[in-house]
Amino acid sequence: MKRAIRIITTLQPQIVSLKVGRLRLVPVLVLFALLHRLNLDATADTLDSVAAKFVASKCLDCHTGAKAEAGFDLSAMLERGLTEGNLKAWIEVHDRVEAGEMPPDGSASKEERTAFNRLLFPKLVDIDKGRIASEGRTTLRRLNRYEYENSLRSLLDAPWLQVKSILPEDGELHRFNKIGEALDVSHVNLARYIQAAEYALREVIADKKEAPESKVKRYYAREQAGFNRKTRYSVFNRSPERAVFPLIDYKPDLDVLHNENSAYTVGESNPELRERESFGVVASSYEPIEPRFTEFKAPRSGRYQLRFKGYTFWAEGEEKKWWRPDREKTSVGRRSEPIVVYSELPPRQLRRLGEFDFQVQPTVQKLDVYLLNGETIQPDAVRLFRSRPSNWHNPLAEKDGMPGVAFSYLEVEGPIIEKWPSRGHSLLFDNLELKEIEGEVQVFSEQPEQDVDRLLRRFLTSIYRRAVIESDVERFSKVALNAMKQGHSFQDAMVASYVAVLCSPDFVCVKEPVGRLDPSSLASRLSLFLWNCDADEKLRTQISQVDPSDMPKVRNLTSALLRDPRSRNFVDAFLAYWLDLRKVNDTSPDEVLYPDYYLDDSLVDACLEETQLYFHEILQQNLPASTLVHSDFAFINERLAKHYGLPLFEGTQLRKVILPKESPRGGLLTQASILKVTSNGTTTSPVVRGVWINERILGERIPAPPKSVPAIEPDTRGATTIREQLELHRADTSCAGCHAKIDPVGFALESFDVAGGWRTHYRSLNETGDRLEGFGKNGQPFTFRKGPTVDPSGTLPTGEEFKDIFELKQLLLKNERKIARNLLNQLLVFATGAVPQFSDRVEMERILDRLEPAHFPVRSMIEEIVCSPLFLNK
Amino acid sequence: MPHFLNNKALHRRHILRGLGVGLALPWLDAMRPAVVRASAGRDEAGDQPPRRMFGICNNLGLLPENFFPSETGKNYALSPYLQTLEKHRQDFTVFSGVWHPDVDGGHPADICFLTAAPHPGSGGFRNTISLDQLIAEQIGHLTRFPSLTLGVNVKQGLRSLSWTGAGVLIPCEEKPSVIYRQLFLQGSKSQVDKQVRKLELGQSIMDSVSDQTKSLMKTLGPKDRARVDQYLTGVRDLEQRLDAAKEWETVPKPTPKVEQPKDHSDPKEYMDKVRLMYDMAKLAFETDSTRAITLMLDSVNSPAIEIEGTDISDGYHNLSHHGKNSEKLKQLEAIDQWHMRLLDRLFTDLKESEEGGSNLFDRTMVLYGSNLGNANTHVTTNLPVFIAGGGFRHGQHLGFDTKNNYPLPNLFVSMLQRMGLPAEKFSTSTGTMRGLEWS
Repeated sequence: MKRAIRIITTLQPQIVSLKVGRLRLVPVLVLFALLHRLNLDATADTLDSVAAKFVASKCLDCHTGAKAEAGFDLSAMLERGLTEGNLKAWIEVHDRVEAGEMPPDGSASKEERTAFNRLLFPKLVDIDKGRIASEGRTTLRRLNRYEYENSLRSLLDAPWLQVKSILPEDGELHRFNKIGEALDVSHVNLARYIQAAEYALREVIADKKEAPESKVKRYYAREQAGFNRKTRYSVFNRSPERAVFPLIDYKPDLDVLHNENSAYTVGESNPELRERESFGVVASSYEPIEPRFTEFKAPRSGRYQLRFKGYTFWAEGEEKKWWRPDREKTSVGRRSEPIVVYSELPPRQLRRLGEFDFQVQPTVQKLDVYLLNGETIQPDAVRLFRSRPSNWHNPLAEKDGMPGVAFSYLEVEGPIIEKWPSRGHSLLFDNLELKEIEGEVQVFSEQPEQDVDRLLRRFLTSIYRRAVIESDVERFSKVALNAMKQGHSFQDAMVASYVAVLCSPDFVCVKEPVGRLDPSSLASRLSLFLWNCDADEKLRTQISQVDPSDMPKVRNLTSALLRDPRSRNFVDAFLAYWLDLRKVNDTSPDEVLYPDYYLDDSLVDACLEETQLYFHEILQQNLPASTLVHSDFAFINERLAKHYGLPLFEGTQLRKVILPKESPRGGLLTQASILKVTSNGTTTSPVVRGVWINERILGERIPAPPKSVPAIEPDTRGATTIREQLELHRADTSCAGCHAKIDPVGFALESFDVAGGWRTHYRSLNETGDRLEGFGKNGQPFTFRKGPTVDPSGTLPTGEEFKDIFELKQLLLKNERKIARNLLNQLLVFATGAVPQFSDRVEMERILDRLEPAHFPVRSMIEEIVCSPLFLNK
Repeated sequence: MPHFLNNKALHRRHILRGLGVGLALPWLDAMRPAVVRASAGRDEAGDQPPRRMFGICNNLGLLPENFFPSETGKNYALSPYLQTLEKHRQDFTVFSGVWHPDVDGGHPADICFLTAAPHPGSGGFRNTISLDQLIAEQIGHLTRFPSLTLGVNVKQGLRSLSWTGAGVLIPCEEKPSVIYRQLFLQGSKSQVDKQVRKLELGQSIMDSVSDQTKSLMKTLGPKDRARVDQYLTGVRDLEQRLDAAKEWETVPKPTPKVEQPKDHSDPKEYMDKVRLMYDMAKLAFETDSTRAITLMLDSVNSPAIEIEGTDISDGYHNLSHHGKNSEKLKQLEAIDQWHMRLLDRLFTDLKESEEGGSNLFDRTMVLYGSNLGNANTHVTTNLPVFIAGGGFRHGQHLGFDTKNNYPLPNLFVSMLQRMGLPAEKFSTSTGTMRGLEWS
């Protein structure tokens, strides 16, 4: 490709006369038509005769007329020449020839193919560019759900708004939710915009004249029904693992345990002792025991600080059944324990708020969070086990006991209000007076008509990507004025107007002028790219002062946007779609085959965050694109260290570690998140993973399988491996071609199980084979057996052989440019919201040329994208 | 740094509670203008009781070994699962060797069960209109609700079988109590007035939006204009729906014969939820509140469910990846059999509901099936599907080629025609369902 482009500039299209005698395979009629056509206008739009000759001698034999192979009638295309209308088909010709797939069976030499494409390429680019010049690369599009939510959050200065879930799921094209052609609109969307916009507006409008008081209140675990109702045994539970442990420091509170009538706490009668009281658990939160701070309910949506006091303890086991804890025998803890905090909106709607570690000594741990009105708090000691019936056995139990976590109290400060009324409220109503009207605090206007006009102008200025126009003021103020006429209050009437604005195409849709983007469109594009959110006023102003042709300035601005915390929106949204991370929870590990992963939420959380932090690091450190395939570092916490077999440490926070040489980790391919989204929870398939890696990381296009071929049925009985089954499949010649490309990468990844754990053997449910001793997270004994050996070796289509993932990664690293090209392609779709265009390839190769000396650093790649004509033009 | 929120756990009721103006009615999505296309279906609507369709997709399917009969034709021996429906054997037709052509991709294919849009797993996928919405577009104005979109255990209600013509999902309703109230609960005069005023406010909002959309169109090139044109169509559709909603506000609702059901909030109570949804569908048809209902049974998103008489140890989805493990197969079989029992009950209930000298069952096409032919392999060929009632000559097993499947969209064409609607084609159909005759 690179060579072809360099030649374009120098190559003059040659006109070579046709030698009729050479074209013996072409039907006479077609040939006449062809000659006629070429003689008439041998201009830019027709095919050069050399190219025509290639097609005629190599292709028409099969691709002619109604019975053309694969319905691909090249004779008709030849006759019509190259037009905008058949550009797509000619691109297909170009790509199949370039890939060496056509003409089949090597009937054209590499030189012939290169020569043909060298002629075809510039013509295709010309036509494509002509089309783009008149319409642009992009199509007008609406914001997707993520962008609409982020934009409302930013506009109304209310980061807690939950808007996305109100809107229908977005269509995808080229894997992203960014492309106009796939972002359809129907009445459903509009009804939902009304709902979403009104919800968001109501969330920020002041409901009190004075700011609600920010309180600091302590909720002692001993005083929470969500803890203490699990103190005493009942017909429903007689198991200590499913009960709470009343503790004073590290010792059992025997009075509470033994005396049915005793209060759960000394309360205010003994403040000193009250501080030492706690409730402990030896289990992670799950259906039978889910301790909650039930007495606290967020009085309104907004910002809060949560402070948790707690520590770890040791629960000794019963004498014979040593894995069963004895609530009367407890002592000081032996290690720290990770705690994840959720908010809950009944019934069981959990939102993860954050995590920290409790230590052996009591500490107070802080979390700054946004809560929604009515939410309550549920902590979870995630490392501990989750008992599933029957006869469970705590997998963390040792002969002398097991670890536990004690909760003393939750202290809540909030709602933390910086400004009242909120900035969102002020955006809507400026400084209009708040009055009590009909028992409700509402915005009051003495001169409603003037205020409607004034407020609307303010609002439109801050949300539209352009100057206010009179017709907008007129049409939207009409909504409020009519509403007031019908008896709605001033505030409700204004809300109706604002809802209309937030449903209007000038807010919902990204409209770009053909050609150079104006500063406002450029600001939107940049912001939607790097913050996944529409540009705010500040950024618009900033951009309007930058000359887009001043590349160093644009570069600086780009890296400033990437340094802003909002760039995390980009990282998360880009990875959610590019790498399917949004699907990380779509399947769960099989209970019987993988009891060690089953129910382990902390593993999924950690592996998701690992990939996000990894990509973030690549950006911040401007690391080479090949880092996607391999690196000598990883982000891990204790759970991942254990999962990856790395040196152990305590702690739930992910940290950057240097990997030992013998570790297969480093790079996306061997991250648990990727290995999990490419498996189904029970089995792995080299085909699924092979296609995935080829398409997402290497940028190889894999055609869909022919439907006549039956899928391979996974078999966990242990008799055959997936690889053996595949060998049969690959023996079929119609399958062999593609599978030679697909499978090798997948074979190497067979060294990793459904959650990305290293394996040398499969697990099987066969009756024979070695048993592995152990208990799952669910407390059930392992019943799977050691299955067949994994064979991770393979041969790439190039003929290069590898024996395992280590060698495969080294082979893949040889092709940095290919890895970089794919990333560039994915980023371009996300950045511009356009389907990749043929002529993009020219600019893409130029960008790659510039990045090559420094090994394609990724942040520089983003800067190059922003500075490129592909980004700066519609 | 405060932790940013994610959307995972927002309850829909919570959103609705916050609404003051309350413009968006819970049923807005299902509203259709009463003014358009009054001609379609009129011959049926006159003196004949109406025809309806009920489409159900269980997205984990049924164990194929136990579902498909081994013999074909009229006097085939019932399979273990169909044995449970023996009472109705003359009243349903079971199919084998059918699929939605090129609808692949495993789990994501459930959203195509009633649309048959190809390649739901692929990058360039766009869904198309579903069978119920096509029906609603034509005869929806004849009933209070043009269609109902229901679900059981659907993640946040954000999946369903119903898709609009623009390829946009209609979220489903999961609470029988809400459906019941919508069907029967009459608001007071002042409530009705208030509702009408809100709807008018909604119309005024859409008016201003449509105004801006039109002026925007003038400035655009053809490709962009096509997108804005779609926007405008959406706005107009919503305007008409608001109008129809206003009209229906003044029409009294039917009187209920049964009490309001209690909702089951625990996803484990899966079968109870399914049973209640069947009851609600029957009530909706009985009162002619709608003529097209879809129900997505999101088994994929269901935990270890409660089944009378069997201990289910694992999540429904995990069980389906049974890997031929005999314990898992046993549990799945118990679940599947409960599905069949509830269907048996639904058919019986519909038969017992008399209507114009016939019964509800004879006028209601119940389509039951799955997007997966075999959940263990995730294949989307050889789908387990059968259709009951609704005016066809049943009592047969139509067996097609299991290697080279027959297009299921042909059944949709047959159903549309049986509804009295002019239909020649649906998605990838090649005609009507071969071997399925009208009774």
